[in-house]
Amino acid sequence: MADTPKVNLTIEGRPISVPPGTNLIEAAKQAGVLIPHYCYHPGLPVAGVCRMCLVEVEKAPKLAPACATAVAEGQVVHVHSEKARDARKGVLEMLLINHPLDCPICDQSGECELQDYTYQEGRADSRYREPKRFNPVEDFGGDVLYVPNRCILCTRCVRFMGDVAHDEVLNVSERGDRAFIGKFEGKDLTHAWAANVVDLCPVGALLSKDFLNKARAWELDRTASVCTGCSQGCNIIVETRDNVVMRFRPRSNESVNQFFMCDEGRLGYREFNRPTRLEVPSILGPKGHEAVDWDVALEAAARLLRGKRAYVVASPDTSNETLHLLGRLMRKSNGVGLYRVPQGPEAPLPGAPDLALRVDRAANGRGAEALGFTRSDTPFSGLKAGDALILVDQDVTGADLAAVGQASAVIVLASWMPAGLPRAEVVLPIATTVEEEGTLTNLRGRVQRFMQAKAAPGLARPSWFVASDLLGATGESAAYFTAGDVFAAMSAAHEAFAGLSYDTLGMRGLPIAGAMAGATA
Amino acid sequence: MGYPHKPHPRETVVLSEHFGAAEARSLDGWKTRGGYQALQQALGMEPTAIQQVVKDSGLRGRGGAGFPTGLKWSFMKLGDGKPHYLCCNADESEPGTFKDREIMRWTPHALIEGCAIGAYAIGAEDCYIYIRGEFTEPLEVMERACAEARAAGVTGPNAMGSGKTVNVWVHKGAGAYICGEETALMNSLEGKRGNPRIKPPFPAVAGLFGMPTTINNVETLAAVPHILNKGAEWYKKLSRPDNPKSTGTKLWSVCGNITRPGNYEVQMGFPFGEFLQDLCGGAPNGRKIKAVIPGGSSVPIITWEEAESALMDYEGMVAANTMLGSAGCIVIDDAQSMPKVIARLARFYAHESCAQCTQCREGTAWTTKILERIVAGDGTAEDFDTLLSIADNMTGKTICVLSDSCATPVVSGLQRWKHEFEALITRTTIHAVPALVG
Amino acid sequence: MSHGPSASGGAALKGGHHGSGDPHVPVFTGETRTKLDDLVTRYPNKQAALLPALWMLQDARGWVSEEGMAEVAQMLDLTPAYVQGVVTFYTMYHQHPVGKYFIQVCTTSPCGVCGAEDVVKAFLDKTGCGELGVTSPDGKFTVIEVECLGACGFATPVMVNADFLESVTPETVPDVLKRYG
Repeated sequence: MADTPKVNLTIEGRPISVPPGTNLIEAAKQAGVLIPHYCYHPGLPVAGVCRMCLVEVEKAPKLAPACATAVAEGQVVHVHSEKARDARKGVLEMLLINHPLDCPICDQSGECELQDYTYQEGRADSRYREPKRFNPVEDFGGDVLYVPNRCILCTRCVRFMGDVAHDEVLNVSERGDRAFIGKFEGKDLTHAWAANVVDLCPVGALLSKDFLNKARAWELDRTASVCTGCSQGCNIIVETRDNVVMRFRPRSNESVNQFFMCDEGRLGYREFNRPTRLEVPSILGPKGHEAVDWDVALEAAARLLRGKRAYVVASPDTSNETLHLLGRLMRKSNGVGLYRVPQGPEAPLPGAPDLALRVDRAANGRGAEALGFTRSDTPFSGLKAGDALILVDQDVTGADLAAVGQASAVIVLASWMPAGLPRAEVVLPIATTVEEEGTLTNLRGRVQRFMQAKAAPGLARPSWFVASDLLGATGESAAYFTAGDVFAAMSAAHEAFAGLSYDTLGMRGLPIAGAMAGATA
Repeated sequence: MGYPHKPHPRETVVLSEHFGAAEARSLDGWKTRGGYQALQQALGMEPTAIQQVVKDSGLRGRGGAGFPTGLKWSFMKLGDGKPHYLCCNADESEPGTFKDREIMRWTPHALIEGCAIGAYAIGAEDCYIYIRGEFTEPLEVMERACAEARAAGVTGPNAMGSGKTVNVWVHKGAGAYICGEETALMNSLEGKRGNPRIKPPFPAVAGLFGMPTTINNVETLAAVPHILNKGAEWYKKLSRPDNPKSTGTKLWSVCGNITRPGNYEVQMGFPFGEFLQDLCGGAPNGRKIKAVIPGGSSVPIITWEEAESALMDYEGMVAANTMLGSAGCIVIDDAQSMPKVIARLARFYAHESCAQCTQCREGTAWTTKILERIVAGDGTAEDFDTLLSIADNMTGKTICVLSDSCATPVVSGLQRWKHEFEALITRTTIHAVPALVG
Repeated sequence: MSHGPSASGGAALKGGHHGSGDPHVPVFTGETRTKLDDLVTRYPNKQAALLPALWMLQDARGWVSEEGMAEVAQMLDLTPAYVQGVVTFYTMYHQHPVGKYFIQVCTTSPCGVCGAEDVVKAFLDKTGCGELGVTSPDGKFTVIEVECLGACGFATPVMVNADFLESVTPETVPDVLKRYG
C-alpha cells in the first residue's frame, strides 16, 4: 500500500519510514537492528510480559516495551543505551535465577535465545544464593516434552494453542514464581499443528520427543526447502548431519505458511532417510539386473523408447523442471503423462489464513497439471500394449499389474525401487527432493524453489539431470547445466511459467500466470 | 475515635456518618437518611453536567492513584454507539486498608447510589461492583441491597421512573490482590486470570469486554451522592483551603501497633502527627511509634519524625517522602523488627505476583528469600547491594506496579533502618547452595 | 505437578493430585443450572460467568476437582485447560479436598505486628492439624495462613469457611473452635 503515509522515526541513529501501527521490534528489524525479545513473536498476539524488549524512547518517562509500542512520528529510539541495556541485563539475571543452567544436556543449546542474549548482554555471574525452584519434566503428548525448570513463562506456546491452533489445551497455572505451563490431565497436544510450540519456545522448555538427544544444534547443516507432505507447500528448513536428515523445521513465508508447519510434514523427514536406495543405474540382463555406466543405461532406455509411445506416470512430488523435460519426451512420441495424488484428511490451522495440511498429499500436482500431465486415480488404465512405460518415483502397489504388463518396456527413474513392480528394463537412480534443486507449484499456483540439502548416494543424479540426459539420448537437444537452465527453458515454453526465473522467485516464490488473483498461498 | 468507636470530635463525618447503624443498611433506612435524592436529581441531568459537578468538587480517586474523578469520567466518549461499563473496585486488598469494607457493610445503598450516578454520567447501563471473595459479609450486604434497589425500581430498566437503564451487579472475586489493579479487575470480571493488561489501550477506549470502561473505587463513588446533594463548593470547603488540589474528606484505616485502630474520616490536609497521637491514641502499652506506612503497604515507609509533621492529603504525603495511596495506615512501634516486617511484606507481594512480568515473578520471590535469610541470621553484607539492585530492576519496568510496590518497602526500609538489618548479619560469606539440575 | 522451594508457597495445600477418587456427579442441574443460566444474562458473554460458576461448584462440592473444571468448561463453552488456568490463579478455589472447617488466618504485616503468628500457632495446636495446609486427623479442620484479609484494624481476622471473625487472639481460639465443634 504505497499510498499509505509512512511514519518517520530514528532507531539507533538510523532513520526509517514504516507504516503506521508498526511496533518498534518490527520497525527496528527493517532498520537492521535486532531488539532482544522472548515473548514477542510476529505470528502471535502481543503479550508484553518478558520485558526483555525494553528500549529507551526519547521524551518517554519510562523504558518502553518495543513489542507493545507503536511507532510515532519523530520518535528517537535507543536500543543499546546504558539504561536499556541495564534493564535487559536485569531481566536476564532474573530469568536465570531459577534456571538449571544445564546447557550441556539441553537440546536447545546452540539455538537458545537465553544463551544468545546472556552471552550478548547478560551478567557474567549470578548473585543468586538461594535454592532453585524444581518441577518435574512432563510429557505433553504429541511430539512435545515440557521441561518446566527451563521455562521462562513467555506464553508463546499458550498463545499459539489458543489463538492460532484454536485448541486451548495449554494454560499458565498458578501464579508468582510458582507458575508453570499447565496442561489439563487427559487433554494432550494432539492437534495436527501442535509441534510448532517446540519451535516457538525460545528456550529449552518445550522439546521434540522425536529429536530428543539426537543432535547438537551446531552440528546441523541447514538448507532452505519446501515440504512435499501436501499441496500447501510450506517453506521449510532441512537440517542434516553427516548426510542424514535430522529434522524439518518451518521457514517463514507470509504468503504460504506464516511461521508454521504441520506435525505430519515435520515428521516427513524420516521418508528421506529410508535405506535401500537405488545407487547405480542398471539394466535387465539375462541374469537379472546388472549395474552399468550411466551412458549405457541411458542408451538402453533411449533404445527402448524408440518408436514407442512414452507413457509416463510420475510422482506428483516431482519437480517442475523434471516434469517439463518428461513432458517433452511425452510429446515427442505423442505419449501421455499421468499422476496419481495420494489423499488424507485435511487439517487446517484455523488462526492462519489459508493454511492447512491439505487433502492432496503431494507437493506438485498443480505443476504437473500446468505442464500437461493428467491427474488420475488409475494412472495405468490407459496403458496400451506396446507403450514404453516410464515410472518416475511412482510405485505400482495396488495397480492393475496386467495393464502394467502390457508395456513394451519399463523404464524407472527413482530413488527407491518402486514397490510392487514385476519388471523393469532400465533403472535410473535419481536424487530425492532434499538432494537436488528445483521448484514445486503449490495448490494456489505458487512456484517455490527448493535447494539441495545433502548429497545423493552412489551414482544417483538429480532427476532433472537424468531427464535431460534421457531426452538427449533420444536425439533431442537438451544440454542443461543447472536446474535454473531447465527452469528458464520451461518458462520460455509454458505460458503458465512465463516471466519467472530463479532470480525473480527468490526464496519465497511467486504465483504462476493465471493463478487465482489475490491468492495468499 | 473512628469506627468501630464513636467518631472523634475532630473527625469530619460524611461517608462514615452511618457506620454502625444497622437500619441504614436497608433501602427505607437509607431513604429516610436522604438516600437516592442525588440519583433522582442526576437522572434528570445531562451526563456532562454531572461530570462537571464532580470535576468542580475536586474529587480524586480514593483507590490509590488519586486521579481526578470528573476528568476520568469525561474520557468516556458519550454517544459512540458502544456499550459503556462502570466497574466499582471493591477488591480492597492493599495491606493496611479496610475502609471500603465498612462502607459496604454499613452503607451499601450509598455505594449503589454512587454507582448508579457514575454509570449514568459515563453513558453506561451496567455497573459491576467487583468485591473480593474474602469479604463475605460485605458481599452478602451488597447483594441484598442490590436486589432490594432493583426490586424497588431504584435501579434496573427505568431507574426511578426516569426511563433510563442503570443495572448494578455484584461480582465476587476469588482471592487475588492483583485484581485491585484496574485492568486485572476487568480481566477477572471477564472470567480470565487476573493479569494486568498493557496500556494503551486505556480502559476509557477499550476496557471491560473491549468496550469503553471507567473503574472507580468504592470510597470515590460513595462520595458522589453527597457532592450532588450539597454541591461542589460544599465539598471543597470540607478540606483545608490552603490546598485546593486535595478536597473533601478522606477515610483513613489505621492498624498495626496503635491504641485505637479503626476507620477515621478527616478533612484532607489534617495534621498526621495529631491524628496518630490524639485521635488514634498513639502506640499502645507506652511504646513509641517507630515507623508509619501511611497509604497501604505499597507506599514508602517513613519514620515517626517524618510522619509527625506531615499533612494528610495527596501533596502532604509526597512532601513527607511517601504517598497517600489508599490511606491504609500501618503503624509500627519500637518493639518490632523492621527487617521482619519488610520480609513479610515482600512475601505478600511474592504470593500475589500474577507471574506475567519477569522482574516481578522472579524479583518478588528472590527479594523475599534474601530478606527471610537475613531475618533467619544467614545474611551477608553483600545482600544489601543485591536487594537494592533487584529493587531497581523491579521498578518502572513492568506492566503494573506490583513489582514496584514490593521494591518500595525494601528501599525505604533499608534507607532508614539499615542498622537493624546490619545487626542481623553475623557472617561474612554465604555458602552457595548447589543448583538442582533436572 | 509438585513444587520446589518458592518464596511464597508456605500456604500451599498438601494433598493428592487427583482428589477423592469418587466419580463426579454433575453440579449444574436443576436449580443450580437455572441459577447459572440466569447469571449469564448479566454479562455480554458466557465466559464472564466463570468465577461465579466456580463458586457454585465449590459451594456444592467443597472443592474444585478436575472433573468439576471440565463440567464448568462445558457449561460456558471453554476448554478444561483454560478453566484450570483460571482456577489455579485464584487462591480461594480449593484444588484439593479440605477439612470440614477451613480456617484462614491473616498473617500479613499489619496483623503480623499484632501477633498473628501466635494465633496461627494456637489454631494449629488446638485443632490437631499441627502443620499448615494439613487436615486434622478427624477431618474437621484445615488451617492456612492467608494474605491480607482487608480487616487490618481488627487484628487478627480469621475466616472459618464463609464466617469472617474479627480480633481473634490466641486466648480466644478455643472459644472460636467450640463454635465449630
